Amino acid sequence: MKNKYKDLPRWIVFAIAAFVMNFPVISTLSTALKTNAEISRDPGLWVHAPTLNNFAVVLQVTERLNIFSYLHNSLVASLIGSILPILVCFPMAYAVARRGYGTDVIFPTVVNLRAMPLIIFAIPLYMMYQTVGLLDTRLGLGLILAVVNLPLALLLLINAINDVPYELDEAARMDGARIFTILVKVVFPICLPTLATVFIFSFITAWNEFLFGLMLTTSEAVPMTVGASFFFSSGGGGGQWGVAAAVIIVASLPPVVLGVLMYKHISRSMTAGAVKG
Amino acid sequence: MGTIELKNVTKSFGPVAVIKGVSLTAEEGEFVVFVGPSGCGKSTLLRLIAGLEETSGGSIHIDGKDVTELDPNHRGLSMVFQSYALYPHMTVYGNIAFALKTAGVAKLEIDRKVRAAAETLKLTPYLDRKPKDLSGGQRQRVAIGRAIVRQPKGFLFDEPLSNLDAALRTQTRIEIANLHKELGATMVYVTHDQIEAMTLADKIVVLNDGEVMQIGSPKELYYAPKNTFVAQFIGSPKMNLLPRASYGGGAMHYQDGVKIDIGHMDGTPSIVGVRPEDISLCPLGEAELSASVTHNEFHGADNNVFVSVPGIGSLNVRANGKLDLQNGQPVGLVLDKSQLHYFDENGVRT
Repeated sequence: MKNKYKDLPRWIVFAIAAFVMNFPVISTLSTALKTNAEISRDPGLWVHAPTLNNFAVVLQVTERLNIFSYLHNSLVASLIGSILPILVCFPMAYAVARRGYGTDVIFPTVVNLRAMPLIIFAIPLYMMYQTVGLLDTRLGLGLILAVVNLPLALLLLINAINDVPYELDEAARMDGARIFTILVKVVFPICLPTLATVFIFSFITAWNEFLFGLMLTTSEAVPMTVGASFFFSSGGGGGQWGVAAAVIIVASLPPVVLGVLMYKHISRSMTAGAVKG
Repeated sequence: MGTIELKNVTKSFGPVAVIKGVSLTAEEGEFVVFVGPSGCGKSTLLRLIAGLEETSGGSIHIDGKDVTELDPNHRGLSMVFQSYALYPHMTVYGNIAFALKTAGVAKLEIDRKVRAAAETLKLTPYLDRKPKDLSGGQRQRVAIGRAIVRQPKGFLFDEPLSNLDAALRTQTRIEIANLHKELGATMVYVTHDQIEAMTLADKIVVLNDGEVMQIGSPKELYYAPKNTFVAQFIGSPKMNLLPRASYGGGAMHYQDGVKIDIGHMDGTPSIVGVRPEDISLCPLGEAELSASVTHNEFHGADNNVFVSVPGIGSLNVRANGKLDLQNGQPVGLVLDKSQLHYFDENGVRT
């Protein structure tokens, strides 16, 4: 019995912290479940008469608003924006980590991209996209999201490959493996936890990106973030807070589900048992 | 199949010469051990043979064919790494099968060979386990399994036992010796442990500072070391080297009028070497040298006794473990004259 209550203060602190940190989410969820009348009458967290009406409005496809199209656009662009950096950065990270290529110029330059305000890309990119016909396409949006995610992916993957004992590469070379086999069969599987981390972070960043979505798309490739803003005043007149909250909830679900599904892969170490520690 | 020959091989990292012109031959089926202190270049030499490092000069031949410029996988050698270097994401089966899969061997053939190797190394019950679920000794055996499954021309071992505890090391040493007998393959083995070298080797190569000090059988190295470095490196406890002295009248003359009769010599020895077991303790009346005990280590069967000899200095004596010796106790010493080693002033055997 003693043990049962020993952890109680700890759990109380956890609960308070979780509540405070998730307050915006809880508040949005509560708003999404209220009627417009209740929202204006009682802005508190408690929902007196829960309703799914706001969700019904959001999921309704109209001429002007199509949430499924926005979700589809976001999904495709985010997958391009999260998988492409991995495909590009993994071999590059290997070259940087193992051979020391590009450590003087390329690596710092790429990582510094992260420090730049993204708006700096806006004007040249718009003009370039116009020329090559990438404006308002999922591929175009995905490509720039990949650039946004590149620095972090490279940084994390270089560290991951540095953690793979070099003797494994040498053992594979003795076993007759060429560089491609070493990369695919030995280094890649060992780096899976980091690759999962890179994928999740990149996907979430890409999914939540607003600036390029707003700038580079107009109708065909509008992503969820931009599409959500269309709902805010969808009814005409004042803000439709219930609908806005519902659309935010729907928009947040995919990255949250992805995060939950892949969470266990993030922090797992793969190198246990490879070499004597 | 399996002759490995090095001809004047050199290796430099930048301006630092690590291997300074090494020539040696590992005959077919021979167990050759590279031994030397840390940093002597023995692991680098092994990596040069493996092809994991490029030579700066000289050439390496396997079965008469020049392989100096060949990739590691084209040399037909297998290597067991000090840290095992097992693929952590593969099972024991996957680890052993990897080289065969890479070589495009048929599945059934791979299965047969992997199971045969596992049987030899008593790994059959562990084939489905990952390396992290194995003990140190089992991981070591997987590393060996990975090496033998390819049926290479020769095996390279880079300090394979250094991560094992003392008991397991002795056991694995015996297993490696048995494996060598069973396979009859050429093996090149790097260690800093001279007991491993003595027990396993057909031929020992003693290295120091990137140069070969001596190549020979364990007995040759023990009984006829070519120089003072080999004399002191091989044997435990190490050989006593008496201080430099002048030779004349059939005797070595030390300070304070102390002399040791050694009879007529052709050369002019400057340094006398004597192994601890070739010095006996005796009553002072019968002694050739008188000494006093400064420190005694009880090893069970033996006492490892340190004595101080006036005019000569400290000597190490292996005495019967049953003797009860006290610090400061005066003792007499007799040297076995037939077992003395003589070196000139440059430390080279005369």
